[in-house]
Amino acid sequence: MARAIEERPSAILEAMRQLREDAASYRGIWSWITTVDHKRIGIMYGVTALAFFVLGGIEALLIRLQLATPNGEVLTPDQYNRIFTMHGTTMIFLVVMPLSAAFFNLLTPLMIGARDVAFPRLNAFSYWVFLAGGLFMNASFFTGGNILQGELGAPDAGWFGYAPLTLSRFSPGEGVDFWALGLLILGVSSMAAGFNFIVTILNMRAPGMTLFRMPLFVWMTLVTSFLIVFAMPVITVALFQLLFDRLYDANFFNVDKGGTPLLWQHMFWLFGHPEVYILILPAMGIVSEVLPTFARKPLFGYPFVVFSGIAIAFMSWGVWAHHMYTTGLGAVANSAFGVSTILIAIPTGVKIFNWMATLWGGSISIKTPLLFAAGFIAMFTIGGLTGVTHSVVPSDYQQQDTYYIVAHFHQVLFGGAIFGLFAGIYYWYPKFTGKMLYEGLGQLQFWTMFIGFNVTFQPMMILGLIGMPRRIYSYPGGQGFDIWNLVATVGAFLIAFSVLVFIINVIASSRRKEKAEADPWDGRTLEWSLPSPVPPYNFKEIPTVHALDDFWHQKYAEDERGRPVPVVAGGSEEEEEEHGDGHGIHMPSPSFFPLIAATGLPIIATGLIYDPAIVAVGAAVLMVGIYGWALEPATE
Amino acid sequence: MQHAPALATNTGLDNRKLLMWLFLASECLFFGSLIGAYLLYRDRSVAGPYPEDLFDIPFTSVSAFILLMSSVTMVLALAAIQRGDQHGLRVWLFTTAFLGILFVSGQAFEFTEFNREGLSLSTNLFGTTFFVLTGFHGAHVTVGVLILMSLFVMALRGRLTRAESLHVELAGLYWHFVDIVWIVIFTLVYLIQP
Amino acid sequence: MRTRLGAQRIHWPRLLTVALLLAVLLLVLGCSTGDPQNTFSPEGDVAERQRDLFNLVLWPAVVILILVEGLLVYAVLRFRRRTAGELPAQVHGNTRLELAWTIAPAILLLFIAVPTVDAIIDLGRAPAAGALQVRVTGIQWRWQFEYMDIKDSEGKPLTVFDELHIPVDKEIGAHLEALDVIHSFWVPKLAGKLDVIPGRGNRMWFNATKPGTYSGQCAEFCGLGHADMRLRVVAESEEDFQAWVDDQLNGGGSAGATQGVPDLVSGGE
Repeated sequence: MARAIEERPSAILEAMRQLREDAASYRGIWSWITTVDHKRIGIMYGVTALAFFVLGGIEALLIRLQLATPNGEVLTPDQYNRIFTMHGTTMIFLVVMPLSAAFFNLLTPLMIGARDVAFPRLNAFSYWVFLAGGLFMNASFFTGGNILQGELGAPDAGWFGYAPLTLSRFSPGEGVDFWALGLLILGVSSMAAGFNFIVTILNMRAPGMTLFRMPLFVWMTLVTSFLIVFAMPVITVALFQLLFDRLYDANFFNVDKGGTPLLWQHMFWLFGHPEVYILILPAMGIVSEVLPTFARKPLFGYPFVVFSGIAIAFMSWGVWAHHMYTTGLGAVANSAFGVSTILIAIPTGVKIFNWMATLWGGSISIKTPLLFAAGFIAMFTIGGLTGVTHSVVPSDYQQQDTYYIVAHFHQVLFGGAIFGLFAGIYYWYPKFTGKMLYEGLGQLQFWTMFIGFNVTFQPMMILGLIGMPRRIYSYPGGQGFDIWNLVATVGAFLIAFSVLVFIINVIASSRRKEKAEADPWDGRTLEWSLPSPVPPYNFKEIPTVHALDDFWHQKYAEDERGRPVPVVAGGSEEEEEEHGDGHGIHMPSPSFFPLIAATGLPIIATGLIYDPAIVAVGAAVLMVGIYGWALEPATE
Repeated sequence: MQHAPALATNTGLDNRKLLMWLFLASECLFFGSLIGAYLLYRDRSVAGPYPEDLFDIPFTSVSAFILLMSSVTMVLALAAIQRGDQHGLRVWLFTTAFLGILFVSGQAFEFTEFNREGLSLSTNLFGTTFFVLTGFHGAHVTVGVLILMSLFVMALRGRLTRAESLHVELAGLYWHFVDIVWIVIFTLVYLIQP
Repeated sequence: MRTRLGAQRIHWPRLLTVALLLAVLLLVLGCSTGDPQNTFSPEGDVAERQRDLFNLVLWPAVVILILVEGLLVYAVLRFRRRTAGELPAQVHGNTRLELAWTIAPAILLLFIAVPTVDAIIDLGRAPAAGALQVRVTGIQWRWQFEYMDIKDSEGKPLTVFDELHIPVDKEIGAHLEALDVIHSFWVPKLAGKLDVIPGRGNRMWFNATKPGTYSGQCAEFCGLGHADMRLRVVAESEEDFQAWVDDQLNGGGSAGATQGVPDLVSGGE
């Protein structure tokens, strides 16, 4: 009898054991679903973000098609409003932030000499919640009726959702609910990641790696993570306030009961301004890694670049109302925020000058990563300078809500962040995939993207200054807008072409037979000391760090004139001393509970919109996920 | 609950403890925003009922005191597990959770009273900001109670030994934070009337 | 035009810099002054002050831009790797330089901050005592204008929609309100925009210094009709303005009033 009982469940147990073994040995789709490996999570973030990039890009092309000519009829006003709302929301929350997160994930443990992040399952949770939030928000497209007849249900109140427009009275339907709840879900993802990286960076550095021996990218990860964990709660509260107004008749933004719409704006921009630095600092970190490698010189003024990043983070809390100059805050507030905004240009300038000085006197290899990094500097300089023009409050009264502003933020978010992120993609691609992207296609992508970008967005500066407001579905002829809009649309399709080139590059390079070396670029930081792709346990032996750019110093000593001289015995061979293939290194076990917990969130959100019973289901799923997570063994 | 052996960390702080502190720091921004909205809208309700019509300070003082005492019992629970006193641990964990439930019940009673007297989420600015602020706080207390009860059940099963005292410490940090937030809310919302 | 830099014979950076300069010039000149909402051809004191302030910042910014971009391109080309094993001196920094390029921009920015605050105060002052008072109300998706000091036969302010007539060279005191969502009142050739926010009044002064019809439109996203929420300001001589007012008061009623617009005058504060 006892034996029979033992034998019956053993088939299931055996299957589960096999699944766990597969997952732990990185085989099959189950191993991806249950992974807690930061490298795999990073890849998932990156692939998902790039998919959303294509989606957001299609939305952009639709916008540009509609605006290519006066009185365009490609989209109805309703469709246009939904598409521009989703374009902005997608690009910010589903593309730039997750792409940055991809790099945080891929690089942080490697750069600090750790085996993984502090909380691997929390890390997986962050990714699954991001995916859930992105899918949830985009599901709203289908709630407006027959999508094949162009009836869209997506949110339509702008990515910035100003009240009272977002209240039920003015935005009936579920679109704005999907937007608010979707952002709440995404906020959970960001915060979890933020906590994880702060703890990882503060607590898990290899012996000898003091804070000022960390690569600059790790510094930017740390600073960005702090910004995330402090800024997200503010938008969280604002979104809850909006939802309570919409779903339960609260009065946060109800003017009739004494509320003020400005409360929304203050909360949103208190979050929103640190948010734009969350968007740009990681890309700045990438540029700060790429330039030294491709110039074969250290980052010029490393401590100053670190401090300017910290300064920007602090100052970003004091400028939010520069998004509100035209709301009539009064001369005192306008002057104060005008001055604080003018001042934030200073640490930004410091970074740009230090990057240029890094290139100066170097031995520059003009490869795709370098092109994108230099492109970043060029484009961000323009964006930053236009930012200075906005800070001049009375001029901003003309610029605000026009295409001049649209030009500015695309300059810094596309010409800046996206270019920086592509620099990172080309730079670190071999490290994580074991294959090099084709250099020729890379250069083609860069130049078409660079030209396309400029052809699209420089005319928008003119458009804004000759009086074209933003967020309009069409414009009449005779305003002088026609030619520039047409040019911009052409540029947009050139950008689309460049993205196609990128996709082709990825596909083609996956078929290459040659494997990438460990250190194809002659890098300076620890990840280049590891094989490509990196084994699951990262380092066979946790390194002891002696200096900033420790790996470089393992490869090169300096002669009396400060010129580097290759070290004879080749430091990167050190890892040959055998510890077998990493046997005996205990890595965190895979787990499916983060995925389960993550699934609970969009279910709860759906229930809040449609049916309270569904909320209970979602809550139950969440609880199962959390309890399973808490009670399972962390390492086997 | 098994856990990985604590690794040496650069700061000397256990990863999980650092995480809890960071989380509580972010919660400061969360509650700060809610309290800010309350203070901004104080005295701007176009119609009543108003705070002075509804507040029963003696009643709320008692429930505040109960929550305060629960922080004391929380400390006692931590002290118990740290010296290996399993019985004490169970008693004080349970008491803390129980006091938390008492507090939340007091909140529920207070809310129903206010509701009966005409205050709801949609009545006026006071109703909106008050219920959302104290509601979120109550939700945090409830989550805390769930955590404490889970720890209690673990303790009953003998799975919460001195080696796992960090769990109780972390629960304690969270619990004390929620208590401190209530002290701030009680002072700003109930006690200080302009 | 010289196309060589001394002994180095690098054509590119020079060419690129000149091209950039030309492009910038073209872009700026591309703003034809005939465009009806062009902020570079103001016809009002407020817009003019704003344009002048913009130019104050724009031209130094252009110079800095050309310098930085030029240096960047030059550096990449001048210091490009010529041999595979090339290893440059490992320069880590220069504190003097850091101080210089922190302090110099700070000083430059000071020169921007001062005129900025100055203009904020001037342009943000209350309308002058004798200004023509107009209440501007934005509602989805029309503009209502009420002349507070010009009463009709029933003692109510003269009310028109979407087309505001004003005397040339007369200061207008605009009181801005909204009845539903946030809109923004913008007539680029006359003045920068100011939002109309429900529950909150804003005020601004502006004028037109030349007769003409100036087009404007709502500049804060306000829903489906946002793009179509346009307005016109007609600036005319004092006589023509009076004639128009008389015409309106005697039931001319041609300035855009239509059915389907809510009775706003009694809508109250």
